[in-house]
Parts: sequence; structure tokens; C-alpha cells
Amino acid sequence: MRTSDIERVFRDEYGRAVAVLVRAFGDIDIAEEAVQDAFTAAVQRWPSTGPPPSPAGWIITTARNQAIDRLRREASRHDRHAEAALLYAGDEPAEEGPVPDDRLRLIFTCCHPALAPAVQVALTLRLLGGLTTAEIAHAFLVPEPTMAQRLVRAKGKIRDARIPYRVPGGRPAGPAPCGPGRRLPHLQRGVRGERG
Amino acid sequence: MTQYLLSVYQPDGDPPPPEVLDQVMSELNVLNGEMKAAGAWVFAAGLHPASTATVVRHRDGEVVLTDGPFTEGKEHIGGFTIITAPDLDSALEWAGKMSRATTLPVEVRPLQHGVED
Repeated sequence: MRTSDIERVFRDEYGRAVAVLVRAFGDIDIAEEAVQDAFTAAVQRWPSTGPPPSPAGWIITTARNQAIDRLRREASRHDRHAEAALLYAGDEPAEEGPVPDDRLRLIFTCCHPALAPAVQVALTLRLLGGLTTAEIAHAFLVPEPTMAQRLVRAKGKIRDARIPYRVPGGRPAGPAPCGPGRRLPHLQRGVRGERG
Repeated sequence: MTQYLLSVYQPDGDPPPPEVLDQVMSELNVLNGEMKAAGAWVFAAGLHPASTATVVRHRDGEVVLTDGPFTEGKEHIGGFTIITAPDLDSALEWAGKMSRATTLPVEVRPLQHGVED
């Protein structure tokens, strides 16, 4: 397997893997890091062993195991955050939204109207498109540290303010300020990769 | 569950005329009742005008007082409510109702560690 083949798997599967891991652990940083580790392992292994029967499945399983290993190590050091994420990973979510796709849930999180439009697009490109911070910074015509800071701040807000991982619309009717109708313009912009 | 601080930003100056204020107060009472019934309400208070504020700074072993609020501006926090909610969407929904009741903007911020209720 050539590096270009692994690159293709990365482009096709990075977003889905991150989305699955976010659902499993409820934490974007853990998910991103674990998926990146899994691809690093793939680059080291696949050229000699050949690709596994299901590259996407291998990436997700490897990332999941890496995340659990990391969380166990941190939990044993009495890291409350790690303990919480492990607990979260323990109970498989039974709840299914209107559309059973983890990527769509994560798109709605990235494009939550509580995040500034430009940040929504950048975050979607990063988490679901698998673009590097440098590439996104280039597209937005801002220095890389500026974009890195924006992404860190946005992920911090999602975590601390508890922006949900959920496709809106599964909630009872009522004056929901963040219903799907209100969110669709943001979502469309995010999908088209326009600047806000 | 996370607790959120809902701050109401109020323009400085005279309060609105009684007929407007009474309406706001009664709608706020209804909303507080709704929050309590839903188990979301933790604490709420209205504040005296920002002109009653004093800023205290400890500097070089001395305490220095400044008359007035910390930030310059035409609006200041006029009151706040602490709620508990499962996620930001739920907190924003309460904030929307609060903004409608008060006719004022409401800032939503998550608390690091909730206060005991």
C-alpha cells in the first residue's frame, strides 16, 4: 500500500472516524488525537503488512483503543476529566437522532449558532474535512497561530458550555432558539465552506 | 447537568415607567415559577443600578476604592439568574424566555463548578 492510498483513506474516513469517536467519548480533543494516532500507526504498518480488509473499521477500532488506553492512564492519575470521559465511553448511546450518522451530529455541533459563523466553518473543515490548521488559516487569510487559537477557543466553548452533539429536531416542539430552521443557513455555509 | 449564569444587560438611566416595569416584573415572576417547576431554577436576584457599585483593588498592600462599576458603558448587569440545564441548547431556551420577559439582552455563561442547590 502506497502513501497516496493511505492519504485517500485519510480524506475519505477522517471525518467519520472523528465523529464516531466524539460520540463514543464526548470529547473532541480526545477524538482528534486518537484518530491522528491511528493514522500514524497505519502509515507505519500498512506499507509492509498491506491494508486491513476494512481500513475505515481498522482506523476507528485502533483510535478507540488508543483513546481508552490514554484515558485509563490519565484516570489512574486521578484526572477527573479522564474518568468522566471513560464513564461516558462505557455506556453506548442508545439514542438515535432523526438521521443515524455521527458526522451529521458533529456538523450541527460545529455549526451551532452560539459559535461565530467564521468559526463554524473553520471547525467543520478541521474536524470533518480533516484539513490542517495551516490549510484553514491559508483559506481564511489569517496567520496560523490566529486560526489555531480560534479553533482551541471554539472547542473549549463546546466542552465548557456543553454545546450538544445532536441533530436538532428530535426535541419536543416549543420556542427552540436553536431549532433546525435557524441553524440551516449556518449549516449550508459550513458545508459549502464559505466564510461567514 | 451544568449550571449557567444568565445575566440581564440593562441600559443605565431611569427605569422604565411603572406600567412597563410592572409588566416585566410579572412576566419574570411567571418565568421564575416555570423554571422552578422544571427544576431548572437555582438562584436569582435583581441588582440596584450600576451607579451604586464600588470597585475594590488591593494594590501594594493597600486597598483602593473606586466609585462606580468596573466597566465603562451604557449598559450594565441589572440582574441575574443561575439555572441548571442538561446542555447549552436548553440554557439558551431559558435565556430566550428571559430576554422576551425583560425585553433586554441576556448573556449565558457556564459555571465552572455548580453552586449547591
